[in-house]
Amino acid sequence: MPTLLQKLFGKRAVGNGSSRDYSTAAEQCWASAEFDLAQIRLIVYQDCERRGRQVLFDSKAIHKLDTSEPTSDETKTPPNRSGACHIGSQASEKDKPPSYQYTRPAPDVTMLGEMMFGSVSMSYKGSTLKIHHIRSPPQLMVSKVFSTRFGSSTSESTNTLQDSFESMSQTFPSHTSSIGVCRVPSAPLLCLARSASFFAAHSNPVDMPSRGHSEDGDSGIARSASLSSLLATPLPSPGSSFSSGLSSSYQRRLLRSQATSLQHGPVPRWNTEEMFSLSDESCSSNPVMIQRKKIAISIIISLPEREEENHNFQEFFFSHFPLFESHMNKLKTAIERAMIVCRRIAESSQRVQVYLCRVMEALGEFRMTVWNLYMAPRISEPVWLSMISQSTERNLLCQRFLKEMSLLMEHGAKSQFLSALLTAVLTHHLAWVSTVMPSSMPPIKSGCQKPASQTADLLAKSHPYNPLWAQLGDLYGALGSPVRVCRTVVVGRRRELVQRVLYVLSYFIRCSDLQEHVQPQEQMDNPASPCTSQTTDPTPEKPDPLKPTACVIGTSEKALNSDLGNAIPGTSVEQNHEILLTDTKSTSPSPSVELTTVRSEFTEMAQECFGEDSDSVGGGLEHILASQSPLLHRVQFHIGSPSETANDGQAGGLTGAGCGRGLDRKLHQRLLSDIRRNESSDSALGDSDDEETSAQELYVATEQNEYELPLPRQVQTRASVNHFGRSLLGGYCPQYMPDFALHGISSDHRLKQCLMADLEHTVLHPALDEPVAEALCIVADTDRLSVQVLTSQKRVCEGGRLGRDVMVSNLVHTLITSVLQLYLFDIDCVLCVMHLEDRLQEVYFKSRSLAEYLRGQTRVPVKELGLALGIESSDIPLLAAVASTHSPYVAQILL
Amino acid sequence: MNALVALCHFCELHGPRTLFCTEAVHPPSPSPPQPGPAIPGDRDREADREGEGLTMRANSSATQGADMCEGCRSLPASHPGFVSVDGETGIRYLSHQHPRQPQLFSVVRQACVRSLSCEVCPGREGPIFFGDEQHGFVFSHTFFIKDSLARGFQRWYSIVVVAMDRIYLINSWPFLLRHLRLTIQSLQNTALKVFDSEQCVCPQRAVRMNSAFSPAVFPHQRSGNAARSLTSLTQHPNLWASLHSSFSWLLKACGSRLTEKLLEGAPTEDTLVLIERQTEQEEEMSGWDGAEGGVSNPQPSQSESVQAKDFQFDDGRQEDILGPKFKSLRHLRQVLGASDFRQLAWHVLMGNQVIWRGADPGLIQSAFNVLKALLPVGCVRAVPYSPHYEEAYRCNFLGLSPDVPIPAHVSSSEFSVLVDVLNVERGCVNPVSDDDILSLYHFNISSANTQATDRGPTLLNKMEVALSNENLSVEVVSLCLLCLKEEWMNKVKVLFKFSKVDGRGKEDTQKVLALLGATGPGEEDNVRLLKFWMTGLSKLYKSHLMTAVRVGERTLSHPP
Repeated sequence: MPTLLQKLFGKRAVGNGSSRDYSTAAEQCWASAEFDLAQIRLIVYQDCERRGRQVLFDSKAIHKLDTSEPTSDETKTPPNRSGACHIGSQASEKDKPPSYQYTRPAPDVTMLGEMMFGSVSMSYKGSTLKIHHIRSPPQLMVSKVFSTRFGSSTSESTNTLQDSFESMSQTFPSHTSSIGVCRVPSAPLLCLARSASFFAAHSNPVDMPSRGHSEDGDSGIARSASLSSLLATPLPSPGSSFSSGLSSSYQRRLLRSQATSLQHGPVPRWNTEEMFSLSDESCSSNPVMIQRKKIAISIIISLPEREEENHNFQEFFFSHFPLFESHMNKLKTAIERAMIVCRRIAESSQRVQVYLCRVMEALGEFRMTVWNLYMAPRISEPVWLSMISQSTERNLLCQRFLKEMSLLMEHGAKSQFLSALLTAVLTHHLAWVSTVMPSSMPPIKSGCQKPASQTADLLAKSHPYNPLWAQLGDLYGALGSPVRVCRTVVVGRRRELVQRVLYVLSYFIRCSDLQEHVQPQEQMDNPASPCTSQTTDPTPEKPDPLKPTACVIGTSEKALNSDLGNAIPGTSVEQNHEILLTDTKSTSPSPSVELTTVRSEFTEMAQECFGEDSDSVGGGLEHILASQSPLLHRVQFHIGSPSETANDGQAGGLTGAGCGRGLDRKLHQRLLSDIRRNESSDSALGDSDDEETSAQELYVATEQNEYELPLPRQVQTRASVNHFGRSLLGGYCPQYMPDFALHGISSDHRLKQCLMADLEHTVLHPALDEPVAEALCIVADTDRLSVQVLTSQKRVCEGGRLGRDVMVSNLVHTLITSVLQLYLFDIDCVLCVMHLEDRLQEVYFKSRSLAEYLRGQTRVPVKELGLALGIESSDIPLLAAVASTHSPYVAQILL
Repeated sequence: MNALVALCHFCELHGPRTLFCTEAVHPPSPSPPQPGPAIPGDRDREADREGEGLTMRANSSATQGADMCEGCRSLPASHPGFVSVDGETGIRYLSHQHPRQPQLFSVVRQACVRSLSCEVCPGREGPIFFGDEQHGFVFSHTFFIKDSLARGFQRWYSIVVVAMDRIYLINSWPFLLRHLRLTIQSLQNTALKVFDSEQCVCPQRAVRMNSAFSPAVFPHQRSGNAARSLTSLTQHPNLWASLHSSFSWLLKACGSRLTEKLLEGAPTEDTLVLIERQTEQEEEMSGWDGAEGGVSNPQPSQSESVQAKDFQFDDGRQEDILGPKFKSLRHLRQVLGASDFRQLAWHVLMGNQVIWRGADPGLIQSAFNVLKALLPVGCVRAVPYSPHYEEAYRCNFLGLSPDVPIPAHVSSSEFSVLVDVLNVERGCVNPVSDDDILSLYHFNISSANTQATDRGPTLLNKMEVALSNENLSVEVVSLCLLCLKEEWMNKVKVLFKFSKVDGRGKEDTQKVLALLGATGPGEEDNVRLLKFWMTGLSKLYKSHLMTAVRVGERTLSHPP
């Protein structure tokens, strides 16, 4: 039986021939492994300095009381394989909520608490993320530990706590025995009751930092302003140089690489203030942080027993982690609310029931979402990705695509359904723009193949960023400014029709294709193992004996070089500077007087310009300190040509590099205070002072030249991967799926229920890990032939409608019309698709003129555009959105 | 990868310690987008680092008494460390006992302490991920190494991977786990062999059982041995060099584990033609050596410069011309007057030969430069200034000195237009500004053409709207022109395929013309324009269309 992930992500099975209807058959249910909802367990833990650790919730210890239905625990009934997971009981019986009961807590909670909070508590005030792997039984645990936040007032009496405690012990008499072990009372009820200080506290809820991307739209930098000042690397600032032709895809990737760089150490980012709120917004005036209490929310996922399924699930889990995390955040918000709400209830047993009910409901939602994310059907051959990954089948793909599109065009001809839908999709899923921006490179193979971006390729190599993250942003269309994310849902009872729409849209909703490079498993001499030369036969490429003891003290460069050169075949050693550590004392661990002297000397030097006399011979430490940083060396090492010693003499050109570098005092001070802050925050971990000596050594060592060793060869093979391009383009799903960039459903019933909340959640906790200004959803109804756009920015919609109807862009309409007419004229399909791309490129060029027209203006009435540029008003939303990807100022002018 | 790897150890005497750390130092700025002043930024960072160094040294002076045992140390303090350079990317992988970048010192310290003292891993050996925005994010794997002299006969270590990109680090969990396990197993196996051989020589259990136990003396008794280094435990003299290689490889492999295929749009026809011309020139210059045909792949810098002089300032030499000159199409239109400009532009777009005759080559050159912008690059064949007439097949822009006669077949042809640039009789001797071309020259336009030039082509009609709108800047106008040209070039491509490649009949062609929006008012001019522009298509595109047909036929006749 093929495993789930093979089915989903593996090489598509070669279809059995031409009779296959590609749009409708091209969808697979990838669920072969059973994924039981009970595999997901939720634990809420509190760590209070005075009271110790307390379990506030453990789904394993909660059972639904038998009320009306015989099967009390809905998690025990695995959802229908082909159907989605419905949490039936809660949805249908809103009026009669189920009641729950605690049973004896699971024996592992103590250990789990240790894992969540650690054995030493951290003084850090932000949220902490942890992932543990539990070997037996195999489980993954994801924890988020939050500091708590209260309001200042404590007016509400705490005597309700006692009440709730008593009533709870009545409801759950089963455990009164094992209290007090390891500061973790094993009676969860008791904990809940005691910890009910939640219920008596107030403050505002966590208001997420809306650090306005709308305000910050110019820079588009998803991090604090302080960082931009720290970024020493000169960047093409998006505001100024965007229109020079760099795509926002490139910009986003570059900025991401810098935002996540270690180079400047940790810089707090946009979402650090996240805390756990223990009271509602009724008194939001003066929030006070209670630093001594932490709350951990953990999701524990039981892994499949079978090794392969286990492996596959883990691959899926870790590659899709941002989505899991986003849903965990949603769960956290629900738990917060549950605690706040139940606090308002006077009667204690009822209070507990309300709390349990609400948390269980949120957990049900979480389980369902995860289940659906894992199990829902996908488009197995998304047109765009297939076209760019396989050149052999290109002709067939084009034929299929055009056929499906023309069928669709006929279907909704009167209402311009397809034109409206594509207008919306092209306006909001903006990743297509960079795929039509004209390259300056000639195509490498044939003229129809778009060239791969070489600048992006180079960037990825020298400034690595996360390609999965980039792909996620592409799919959600997060390329404009301000950043908006979009998903598209196709609703309709006619399955084939919906699938046809999905298939066609999978050409327009684009993202980069990902490839994985892996080390062959069977390789004996894996570069990851350092001791292979001893355990196995050493290979010639391996760096050979390097005697660390033979090196530095009192050794001249010449001796060193020859020594190493003899000792290490296949290694080129460069010493551009002499290593002259004549002072042997300074290398010993004990303190030395000389160092102090040198320090003061160095201080003086650093305050002036220095480095001029780096040629001087016979210098002591001063010389070393003043010599250029190794960072400035351009040392070439050629992998695979081990005999080559690549000293290309660049050192000579750089000898003066140290001259003129003054200390930038501001930066200096800032970094100093950062370091001090970090050091002081270490205090909870014990004394860190004793490594200060090492810092000194470190400093001395930094100004020396390291021994150069070759990088081990990277044997690479390519494989398809678990990536968003394959997983977030959904098929005809039984239920609305919040994560998918594209999917179809039969009815918009549930969509209506939860879409607005989902969009709001997306803005608060974007899976994209960067601030998002607005979340949108395109809803295309194939039954009613309507296309609407819904937004997280609440706007009044008439008559209970979901959102605004989409105005058909004339540009898009004529584009599709002419492409399809060419197709009907029997023109080569590949050419038709090329023409489609050319026409999309025209849209891009038009957006350039629009942007140029708006440059420097403050506010432009839309009417003027028609007169001046011949742009029709129906095209303006599309063109403005496209323009915002290369000219961020556009959005602000065209309000 | 934007990360560092460190080996940490829980020393029995000194607690958690960082032993060995490999960091990736990235080149300062990506080369393609506007290099800018890269060096100053670099220097700033250098300065920062030096500042840090000072502080640490200052702070450390008080605590230098703290000792460090062999077990807490990897490289001797004087060891310069190791470096490996990735030649392709310029990324340098540096290994020292502690991170070389001071701002990372406390980050690694924190990760080390948390991995060995704070975080709880079931079974004590295994992977954990933890972290926050302030301290960075850490993938940690703890493990034991056998030591016959240690308490419990083993020592506790961890390898931590530290990054700010929490999502990437988590995405990389399976990869990191797989490879760190190899690293760890390799260390463990090696140490186990050493342990076994040591036990053979001197079974410690027996020694310990026999020695009298005294709690007060115990730690001191063993303190001499407590300090065994990992090198001694593995008997691997090159351990650190090997570990450096492993960690560097891990960082590199993890960073390049996933690669993106990010596509750009096809180059415009103008770009392709320019590249083709450049290649031809190069081949001509290099004689037969490089005559292999086809299109070479010029370096990015070359093609960027190609694009830079794309459509507007074709030769880029306009600035060099002294004397009066035309600055833009709008300027030309103002000077010639709307009607004459219309006529001239019409001839340009129809592919007729445009001859300028006058005494000022600079002025004529500038006129050609702005007029060229109306055409695709492939349609421009210019002879800027010639002492004799050149035939129309050789050039559609021709500059002549005033006395050159125009052959009769040309002057009577409806396919050419002549602009005579005549000097204005100067009434006053005052120097006139260069801008005021009209005060210097008079322009006389003549053509044997009898067709109306005021109906089409559609492109010209739209162009004139933009030109006459004074609210539009020159840049906007040129972008509008670019849009119009690309729009019509796309029609040209379809028409070429339809009529030249597929060889369809007139009726079908008429349908396609209607479909392309080329019919209606000015249809005749539109069709002429399309036909003329077809001659400007790049060779690459043409040859591609021919091949595409063949591939298509093959596919159709042999269904899979």
